Amino acid sequence: MQLAIDTADPRPIEAQIADEVRRAVVLGTLRADDTLPPVRRLAAELRVNPGAVARAYQALEAQGVVQMRWGRGPVVAPPPASSDDRGAMLRRLVDRALRDARRNGISALELADAIRAAAEDAPASPSSGPTGAGAPPR
Amino acid sequence: MTAALPTEIEAAAFAVATRGVAKRYGRDFALLGVDLQVPEGAVYVLVGPNGAGKTTTLKLLLGLLKPDTGSVRVLGMDPRAHGPLVRAQVGYVPERGDWGYAYMTVGRLLQHHAVYFPAWDWEYAANLANAFELDLTRTLGKLSKGLARRVHLLLAMAHRPPLLVLDEPTDGLDPVMRDETLGMLAEHVADTGCTVLICTHIVHEVDRLADHLGVMRDGRLTAQMPRETLHRMLRRYRADVPEGWQGVPGLDGTVIRRGGVGREIQWSVWGDEREVSLRLTESGATVRDAAPLTLEDAAVALLSRKE
Repeated sequence: MQLAIDTADPRPIEAQIADEVRRAVVLGTLRADDTLPPVRRLAAELRVNPGAVARAYQALEAQGVVQMRWGRGPVVAPPPASSDDRGAMLRRLVDRALRDARRNGISALELADAIRAAAEDAPASPSSGPTGAGAPPR
Repeated sequence: MTAALPTEIEAAAFAVATRGVAKRYGRDFALLGVDLQVPEGAVYVLVGPNGAGKTTTLKLLLGLLKPDTGSVRVLGMDPRAHGPLVRAQVGYVPERGDWGYAYMTVGRLLQHHAVYFPAWDWEYAANLANAFELDLTRTLGKLSKGLARRVHLLLAMAHRPPLLVLDEPTDGLDPVMRDETLGMLAEHVADTGCTVLICTHIVHEVDRLADHLGVMRDGRLTAQMPRETLHRMLRRYRADVPEGWQGVPGLDGTVIRRGGVGREIQWSVWGDEREVSLRLTESGATVRDAAPLTLEDAAVALLSRKE
């Protein structure tokens, strides 16, 4: 599992870890019954405070994303029947884009127009609907 | 609105707690009323310019120096009265390591050292020696600065003490070994749950590990706080301001740093984000962003704050 952690990111480390795990689950790189590294191993790998990893795992457990097991790393939980994880991920992505736009003095409408224009220019990307597995990135 | 920076930390128990500690060398004050509070289980990073009193503070904790006034408690003990007991329970990496026995091999030093620590774990020591790429047959006098530092780290960690006191722990290490050392330290903290007090100039390196920050200047601990407080209260605001903008009345006391290009102005401000943003907006500025700072930027901002 590759987690990207950035100290310049405004989110605290534990939020970054939890977001990265959630993202991996949504993208299907982490699936039900997959094991996450134990706290000590992930802390050592990422060179982060073990407390941050533990808090991230606790948050993920509270949200039902993982199940904790004594003495081992947490296990990815089966997805709930009606999950809108993609929707939630999209919302986070949009919120960040909007924040960046605002920082640069760009309105939401301008951003939306620019995204539409860029999407029309870009070559068609492999479709990956909520049900289809989609093509793995390269 | 006056924004006093926090100098008291709330915790159930402290591994280190000093109260009003002062120390002078001759006529010069090295420390002036330092109240250092390191909660149990914290990774506390103490930053400050050279000569701020960081190393002196650490030496007081180990009982290697005695304060002129004030009280010191380390793991519930007074290092003045119980220096050896304190030192047996603390893993200490000094700023400068003088071995005293330059002819001794690293391996011999470890044996010599292990005798004093009942909890010394030879298997762990061997793992650390391996990770730090230490050759136990080398003589101490011929070690490079980086190798000597790694020997100190091994000595400090191999008995799994409840408290690690690290004075510039990665000084002299190459970038790869630095990274490796931080990984070992994260693993060590996860395994032992020990408290760590680190003095360093290279703040960004411990950004991910630190959960508390203390800032020292001119012998005073001017601020100390948990990371959440720092993240919540210290933000960099970017705003566009109109021509002839007069500033924000009353916000001056909280502004830690300001700068900017053209009509965009940047402030590092200590205060509640909503309140600060509101005041900026009321003054005619358009707030673009209020982002938390990295640990290094936060340390620089707090250190360069005008009194």
